Amino acid sequence: MKTFTYTITDALGIHARPAGLLVKLAAGYQSNILISREGKEANAKRIMAIMGLGATTGAEITVKVEGPDEGEAAAAVEDFLKANL
Amino acid sequence: MGLFDFMKGKKGVALAAPVSGECIPISQVPDPTFAEEILGKGIAIRPSQGKFYSPVDGVVSTVFPTGHAVGVTSPEGTEVLIHVGLDTVQLKGQFFKTLVEAEQKVKKGDLLLEADLEEISRAGYNTVTPMIVCNSDDYAEVKCRTEGTVSPGEEVITCIS
Repeated sequence: MKTFTYTITDALGIHARPAGLLVKLAAGYQSNILISREGKEANAKRIMAIMGLGATTGAEITVKVEGPDEGEAAAAVEDFLKANL
Repeated sequence: MGLFDFMKGKKGVALAAPVSGECIPISQVPDPTFAEEILGKGIAIRPSQGKFYSPVDGVVSTVFPTGHAVGVTSPEGTEVLIHVGLDTVQLKGQFFKTLVEAEQKVKKGDLLLEADLEEISRAGYNTVTPMIVCNSDDYAEVKCRTEGTVSPGEEVITCIS
């Protein structure tokens, strides 16, 4: 399992567009990808769950990736977060 | 004969128009997030007034902190997002008033949010409102209305398992 934390720096947080793009990216991997914030946990392949995290600027999120392609998936999600959020 | 009469008897989840206005094909919405169905399949309405109602009985699954979008999940698990206007996240809550909270139970037709459409337009934003089935992939078919005038409560989407 790969785990990392990330703090949202984007002024608008995870709103509809980045949530959609993140889910599209996550769907491309076999691994389970879970994102949590303040006790709430969301499957990164479910748009409504990701939007429901309410991750705004300054929110610290934890990403857990587990599965056959976890190394690649974790790196891709981390790159996405850094580039977009 | 109603638009969806041919599906009577088939298992489906019906979603009602959240607002009155004119339906347009989602592919004509000038925002790729919606036009390219990145969030899922759905409809788009050019609203004629600023009151937005729940399309279905369910639970409020997300309320954007900026008040411009609300998600409702039906008892069958259909995840519906109503996103008022395009790029309206930039307004940071201005001209929007949310009337529900996350986890709250709602009935079809309950008022979810109010938006000052005139001010939103004046600020330079398109008020066209997509309503998206975020878990479209869970359904064999998501039938969407693409034209005509609609009123709140009128069926505009049917999700067929």
